[in-house]
Amino acid sequence: MLHDVRFSYDDGGTWALDGVDLTIGAGERVSVVGANGSGKSTLGRIIAGLAAPDSGTVTLLEQQVFHDGAADANAYRAARHGIGAVFQNPEDQIVTTVTEDDVAFGPENLGVPREHIGDRIATALHRVGMTGFGTSDPTRMSGGQQQRVAIAGMLAMQPRMLVLDEPTAMLDESGRAEIMHVLDELHRRGVTIVHITHAEDEAALADRIIRMDRGHIVSDGASDAVPLNPPYGGQLPSQRGATTQSSSTLHTVSAPSPIITLSHVSFSYAKNTPILADVSLTINPGETVAIMGHNGCGKSTLTRLLCALETPDRGDITVAGIPVARDTGRRSKPLRRRDRKRLRAGIGYVMQHPERQLFAETVAEDVAYGPRNLGLDGSELDERVSQTLKSLGLSHLAERSPFSLSGGQQRMVAIAGILACRPKILVMDEPTSSLDATATQHIHDLIADLKTQGVTVIIVTHDRSEADLADRVITLGDHSVGANHDREDSDDHRPVESKQPRPSFITALDPRMKMVLFLIMMFTAFAIGTPVQLALAAAMVAVILAASRLGPISVLHSVRVLLALFVIMSALNVFFVRTGTPLVRIGSIPITDDGLWTALVYAGRLALVVVLGAIMLGTTTPVRLTDAFGSLLSPLSRLGVHTSEIALTMSLALRFIPTLTQETQDVIDAQSARGGSIESGTPMQRLRALTAIIVPVFAGALRHADNLGLALDARSYEGGSHRTHYRMMHIGGRDIAFAGMVIVYLAALIALAFIS
Amino acid sequence: MSVSSHTNTHSTGVADSGRWSTRRIAVYALFVALAMVTSFVELPIFPAAPYLKYDPSGIVCLIAGFAFGPSAAVIVSVLGFVPHMFGDPWGSIMAIAVALALSVPASLIYKRWRTRKGATAGILVGAVVALAIAIVGNLLITPIYAHMTVAQVAAMIVPILLPFNLLKFAIHGVVTFLIYKPISDLLNRTR
Repeated sequence: MLHDVRFSYDDGGTWALDGVDLTIGAGERVSVVGANGSGKSTLGRIIAGLAAPDSGTVTLLEQQVFHDGAADANAYRAARHGIGAVFQNPEDQIVTTVTEDDVAFGPENLGVPREHIGDRIATALHRVGMTGFGTSDPTRMSGGQQQRVAIAGMLAMQPRMLVLDEPTAMLDESGRAEIMHVLDELHRRGVTIVHITHAEDEAALADRIIRMDRGHIVSDGASDAVPLNPPYGGQLPSQRGATTQSSSTLHTVSAPSPIITLSHVSFSYAKNTPILADVSLTINPGETVAIMGHNGCGKSTLTRLLCALETPDRGDITVAGIPVARDTGRRSKPLRRRDRKRLRAGIGYVMQHPERQLFAETVAEDVAYGPRNLGLDGSELDERVSQTLKSLGLSHLAERSPFSLSGGQQRMVAIAGILACRPKILVMDEPTSSLDATATQHIHDLIADLKTQGVTVIIVTHDRSEADLADRVITLGDHSVGANHDREDSDDHRPVESKQPRPSFITALDPRMKMVLFLIMMFTAFAIGTPVQLALAAAMVAVILAASRLGPISVLHSVRVLLALFVIMSALNVFFVRTGTPLVRIGSIPITDDGLWTALVYAGRLALVVVLGAIMLGTTTPVRLTDAFGSLLSPLSRLGVHTSEIALTMSLALRFIPTLTQETQDVIDAQSARGGSIESGTPMQRLRALTAIIVPVFAGALRHADNLGLALDARSYEGGSHRTHYRMMHIGGRDIAFAGMVIVYLAALIALAFIS
Repeated sequence: MSVSSHTNTHSTGVADSGRWSTRRIAVYALFVALAMVTSFVELPIFPAAPYLKYDPSGIVCLIAGFAFGPSAAVIVSVLGFVPHMFGDPWGSIMAIAVALALSVPASLIYKRWRTRKGATAGILVGAVVALAIAIVGNLLITPIYAHMTVAQVAAMIVPILLPFNLLKFAIHGVVTFLIYKPISDLLNRTR
């Protein structure tokens, strides 16, 4: 299958891979292990045909793709059609918001005829145990499910080999178990599997383990070690509510007064899906506590509550003597601004992937951000920064750009930025996730150091051995089932209701036709000038609303903010129009009947526009919208505009909006936990706060873009006209009927303009 | 630093067979998404006219233009406002015009002079063009939304429209200037 692979790979003077020879036979299951930076991901990309080496010879699936320092694009293309690649971050591999369409993307790129794509989707989803999820939105699934959809996307291309680069690094135990089961199954079916991982227990499941170190293969042999423990799928003890267990031998009961107290705290993001229910716990000063539990059991939520980033529905929370939340009987009251500031000074919050908050030009400046917000400056600030860096052994990095550091170093710098505020309590959410062994050890040493300094440390973790660092483990149980968890377990065997309601008249319209006609109606609505025309338009919109079978209440609810704005704006017209018969006078200003009518027409037509927009969006999925958009643009391709690429760009952009929104919110939370705020302070402070938010958001966008680019390559996206389309659009009788209706309406609107 | 120059030594040649490379599509998509997200942010920055809201999407258009050239500025400026079509049709057309007027001249100038001075000149020229478009746009569009004559809107130019837009473009410019260095570090690292 893969013969005599030998290459080196230049990265600005250092060699990521240096003279590597490797042959992988068809049907083998190989693991590649090694520390971060050992070259295993690079090796994976070369094997997957996603990158070419600098020198050597690469033969993939009998195609000699690289020889004598030259890449053969055609051979690469042919080889890549038979190779699937799955990456670490499940989210960045999803290209659209409907699972079926996502899985169809690869076959479409390969030019598989439309009538075969449906079968391929069904088979691929079945292989990964996701049958019944075809119409679900993959961006809202758990990580394990997303990763399975990503694998299905590859299987639909019927690859002979699958290369997976740390596919479980971002997943919890049950997610890991799901993926490993899928790999077992694929291997049984004869697919060659190359699995890059730094989890030894996962590697041990392969026939053969290749160990990498600094660009060399240091060992290559059959897997001999039988994993000691069940390698995956170990269930955590789960009990109702929060239970605590002591992992240290003795824990004194007569503790000093607690630094953190939660009593009967409940929290939910949405009605009827409680995340935390009636949780009570206390943590003493200087304690190191680990919080464990399944994904979605509310671990992260608990930390957000402590840092006053969320307010509980019920219950009291006290942190370092500050009442973070008080139960008033109906709802818990949030914190006052002054208390919030005091709390931020006392508690440090290290979010998941804190390196995503880095923003400054140098490490020192980034670390200075928090203390500066606390009011430090001048030599005091410099002193604080250099001390913090020194205590973490980072002094030599002070003048480097944080973006030029390795992942482990970035993590440490981000934590330094929080420790520089000298918090009494440090909350860390998954502090070692996706770090290698060395970097993890650094973090663990730090946790031990903080303990000797008397800092109270709270660690959220999935990792048993990490939890052993703590004095005490708090396990959040299944009682407080979260949304993620709910989806993860219960959906496995529950097919989505196959009996979908018949689509309404408006829903079933061809999206191109619908888009054009709706936009015409929306733009022309601004020409409405008389109450009679308004009445006609309102009647038209009412008919469309009825034909869309969307609930009128829910449509109005979705645009309520805009509606309120229009009412206020046009109410102003009442005061400015002086013509017509005066009705009443307020002070010296006459209110005339013309004024009232004007206000009504202006508010009315704007309201109709937004209601039409809401109906359009409510009856058309984003996928259909972008299909229509691409199709409507396609005539422009004759002018040299790259319309299909633009349409894909648009569809990917829409798919990433929720992700970026969430990340932006996370960055805002994290920076405000470091005392930054755009809403208060001098203009310069506000600008700095804005910069501290915008740079990490851009960094996140570029990171997603890199991963997404690879994912598009892995799905063999090559643009051009040989792509097939799984979904077809065609204009039918109802579209023509609807167009006729709109034409009659527009004619009537124009006629009314002349009559009056 | 344009995206097309990404055909580096480790290219397999496949990604470039399409008319746009996959990386280019991915980068554009993420910038468009960023412009969409930020265009929904509304910050009242001008106390005299609290209904005029500041949104940072112009910064995204500027950065896209600086980092990836004028064509990226066009794509991000146009596609970024498409979601607003279904809420505020005329307003979105005006927002696209203003974003184009700001980012396209700025990126054209920066393409020629890749220095801090070039970036400053680009932002200034872009801001002047965008200011003109914003005011003309307001003269044309405000009467559609509120019962006002063009003359009444014109009367608002000096006390409201001019200072608001000046402030808006000043924030765009200053923030872009402040964040461009760290962001270009990032871009250089990812290549």
